[in-house]
Amino acid sequence: MNRMIFVNLPVADLQTSIAFYEAVGATADPHFKGDGAQMMRFSDDICVMLASHARFDGFLEGTRARIDPKQGAQAIFCLSADSREEVDAVAAAAAGTGADVDITPADDYGYMYGRNFVDPDGHVWQMSWMDVEAAMAADKESA
Amino acid sequence: MNRMIFVNLPVTDLERSIAFYEAIGATADPYFKGGGAQMMRVSEEICVMLLTHERFSCFTSRRIADAHETAQVLLCLSCGGRDEVNATTQAAAAAGGQADPNPPQEHGDFMYGRSFADPDGHIWELAWMDVAAAMAAGAAQDA
Repeated sequence: MNRMIFVNLPVADLQTSIAFYEAVGATADPHFKGDGAQMMRFSDDICVMLASHARFDGFLEGTRARIDPKQGAQAIFCLSADSREEVDAVAAAAAGTGADVDITPADDYGYMYGRNFVDPDGHVWQMSWMDVEAAMAADKESA
Repeated sequence: MNRMIFVNLPVTDLERSIAFYEAIGATADPYFKGGGAQMMRVSEEICVMLLTHERFSCFTSRRIADAHETAQVLLCLSCGGRDEVNATTQAAAAAGGQADPNPPQEHGDFMYGRSFADPDGHIWELAWMDVAAAMAAGAAQDA
């Protein structure tokens, strides 16, 4: 079985977050949910586990204090997209839910294009499309 | 192409973090590095982008929260078995991480999890699950 990743994120309102992540392309898993949590699938191997504050605090078991992502950042999550159009479509979908989009300027290097958006709780995501071979060729030229 | 995820983490000492992530089984990508960044491949689809604080701050204006004290996210990777969970946790501890910042999780004979913190305090959970057995247990609970 492929390695899977679960990005566990604390959210203030589970239903708001489920709707948001569905809007940007994730699917609510019908099996892994309950007790203030809902697993959202971006692919077979990439999942976001949305957890209510109470549930997330339970995961931490007192070893860390949950931080408001609008006050402090510890991670930025980037997903690959198949095309520039998909990057723009996801950014537009995020904006359509009222999310902040493009908190830093879009990355546009010809062979690479990325835009970011912020989920309802302040977690920052980026969608990036890259032509890997062109990027590696550009890297060689600059070396 | 399968969707990929890049988990961008701020680190205080890039070389120390590269060595740590290599110790737990990730591979430094020879192409995607430089400018205070190094991409570590956990699998074909899962990458961790280690970034100096200076580089991370190019992507967000938010202050970087100390991951030893606070948590914005809990990252979790699936493992192929209990042995892999234990071996990776031990490798993390031997490489300067902290083993079991959260208590080990044991649910019947279908799920086993441990955790480690990287040198900057970012917590990773490692989980093995017999998915079919877990879903059967969930179904039995729902019934």
